[in-house]
Amino acid sequence: MAQKATPIELEVAVVNGVELNGHWNRIFEPRAISEYDLSVLEEVTAIPGAQSLGFCYQCGKCTSVCPVEEAGGDYSPRKVFRRTQMGISLFESADLWLCTTCSDCLRVCPKEVNMIDIMPAVREKAVMDGNAPQELLTAFENTARYGNPLGEPARKRAGWVKRAQVPVPIMSAHKAPVDVLWFVECYPAYHPRGQDASIALARILNALGIDFGILGIEEKCSGDSQRMAGESGLFEMLAEDNVKTLSKYTFQTLMVTDPHAFNAFRHEYPKYGGDWPTYHYTQFLAARIEAMTMTREIVRRVTFHDPCYLGRHNGEYEAPRALLQAIPGLELIEMGRCRENAYCCGGGGGGMWMDSFTSERLTMRLSERRVKEAVEYGAEILAVTCPYEVSRFEDAVKSTGNAGRLKVCDIAELLGHAMGLVTADI
Amino acid sequence: MTHDRILVVGAGPAGLEAARGAADLGKDVLLVEATDQLGGTPYAHYATLTPYLKDTHEAMGPMVEGVQTHPRIDVRLKTRLVASQGEAGQFVVTLQDDRGNQAQEAVGAVVIATGFRHFDPGRETQLYGYYEFDDVITLVDAEHMMQQGKIVRPSTGLPPERVAFIQCVGSRDRQIGNQWCSKVCCGIASKQSIEIKRMVPEAKVFIFYIDMRMYGFWEDQLYWKAQEEYKVNYVRGIVTEILKKGDKLLMKGEDTTMGRPVELLMDLIILSVGMEPSQGTLDMAQQFHVPRESHGFMATVGEPLDTVTTPVAGVFVAGAAAGPKDIEDSVSMGGAAAVKAVTFLNRLSQQLA
Repeated sequence: MAQKATPIELEVAVVNGVELNGHWNRIFEPRAISEYDLSVLEEVTAIPGAQSLGFCYQCGKCTSVCPVEEAGGDYSPRKVFRRTQMGISLFESADLWLCTTCSDCLRVCPKEVNMIDIMPAVREKAVMDGNAPQELLTAFENTARYGNPLGEPARKRAGWVKRAQVPVPIMSAHKAPVDVLWFVECYPAYHPRGQDASIALARILNALGIDFGILGIEEKCSGDSQRMAGESGLFEMLAEDNVKTLSKYTFQTLMVTDPHAFNAFRHEYPKYGGDWPTYHYTQFLAARIEAMTMTREIVRRVTFHDPCYLGRHNGEYEAPRALLQAIPGLELIEMGRCRENAYCCGGGGGGMWMDSFTSERLTMRLSERRVKEAVEYGAEILAVTCPYEVSRFEDAVKSTGNAGRLKVCDIAELLGHAMGLVTADI
Repeated sequence: MTHDRILVVGAGPAGLEAARGAADLGKDVLLVEATDQLGGTPYAHYATLTPYLKDTHEAMGPMVEGVQTHPRIDVRLKTRLVASQGEAGQFVVTLQDDRGNQAQEAVGAVVIATGFRHFDPGRETQLYGYYEFDDVITLVDAEHMMQQGKIVRPSTGLPPERVAFIQCVGSRDRQIGNQWCSKVCCGIASKQSIEIKRMVPEAKVFIFYIDMRMYGFWEDQLYWKAQEEYKVNYVRGIVTEILKKGDKLLMKGEDTTMGRPVELLMDLIILSVGMEPSQGTLDMAQQFHVPRESHGFMATVGEPLDTVTTPVAGVFVAGAAAGPKDIEDSVSMGGAAAVKAVTFLNRLSQQLA
């Protein structure tokens, strides 16, 4: 059999005990392709869901929109296909973990090579074989053990409610039907900056006189990102638990804070018997703009980062913008990559939990790339509406030296500020 | 006076359709064919037709039979046109059969449908060793094997484990003098790759190409089907040369999307040879004084709106005599040439009357 193809440019090669760096290594690795070991491609495309990887005809349209490539990743679905066709094992390659499942490649792909189906399917096998990055496995373990990827105690899931200083009924104690069941999700429940948005949203709901309740400690992570990262078994368990819990209570609509949870409730939970009219909180509030009394101006240039799972995955681009435009004094500006072509924050598809793994392989974080774009376009506030993003972008603001130049706020915080319910750091 | 009869030279798809069309429009047709059967190159050499992979004899049977039995068509097999005199409305052509017997015939208009020949890969600068290595064959050789229901390595008679197609052999090449795309080879290579995978499912099949040129519906009928359903591997980059290595062939080229040289061992390499004007086409151009266009095929006037009228009054062309064509184009041109030739004769008769 001919020599198997291998990645040619190692970071470090050791030859006779001497370490050699950089491009010199190509001298010691085969430069010419002497085999396309098709067994890998065959193995990958035989996995249900991953078949379309073999459809790529190398047009390269995905490469220019792939956020990983743009962050210096030498990465795109086109390249993933070619490397796999050459016999480089995708199951063991870093390529498998860099995709954020942002879906911009699928938007432009003429052959419908569907990374949204390919990635979870192939990752699942790698996870089962123990080939996933340790950080990701830790997030999976936390989710399985505590019901959240942060590793926070389950009993503290409603800890933020006290700080809200408005009624936030918890269904198990409420003992009555509600109009709106608010599925809070992990980062809005545990992360300090997520809690800020949750507090603002709780106060807005109270100000609007909405009859709502939350699950509190009964709620578990929706599991959508764990599913995209290859843990479909864990997702199934979480979905079954959440559907069972929600089914105990009577409510008209489900409102979610997290676009990833929104995606799960819209497309996956119905398969587990959980089929409720579901709205992202921006959609819920956008229908109630008339009732929102905004007394404080926010005289700032604000740009909006479309979350991949609200925008491309679920087609909602208008509700967040309608809310921002309703705020007095606020000037909404758009970045070059917005709406259907919005850049990805890097948090999706498990990226939230693989920061060390990915940043070692890219020239910058995706969140840093995005923050730079917001600054280039002259924004003073980067408005977000996915709970992954506030912390990601705030870190990126600091690491790119833009502290003091750009603020990051959840739309709920901005609305709460305009309504005089909270004081956002604008 | 005008001879109210049309000569069709060549009985491939274009000639057959021209003959049938003109006869159906009420003209007597003299159909001259150099070989011993109707149907032309596809009928003689191709196991199946692109893009539907139907058996050629089955698919073309009704067309051939329709011409054979048509009361207005006079078919002359194993016959060549060796001389032509006169002008539009009054051509006198000399026909010669395989025994050397000559006959003169008078016709009013002529449709030339003498087709193409396959590029000979041993002829020019290509270093593919076609005449050197048994296991380097052409698309045509592969069709001949498939006519017998098999695909094997000629050196061993055994089915190949690894097969590569090399596209654009004899086409798109200034040094060879063939500065055209032969239009059908990408589709035919894709068609054959599907057939090979059907016959030898465990074979690894590669197609090395510069650009895949799949006109119209061939895109998903052949290219996507081969790639998606039959797992044929398309690799951009053309092979430069083939060397012998043990009982295998070592092919060297570049994988251009990876930006790396390629040195691969293959069991069977199929050269996707293109089209050139056939000897018959060159001869007929000379006999009827039809100029050849810059690539050497028969010239037409009024393209792209008139594809069949040559600069010589009363002489029309159909099919690959006018340039690389697929069978659809050839048949369409055959119909168009029939209409033009019949109309030409009718107008000439009216003018004289």
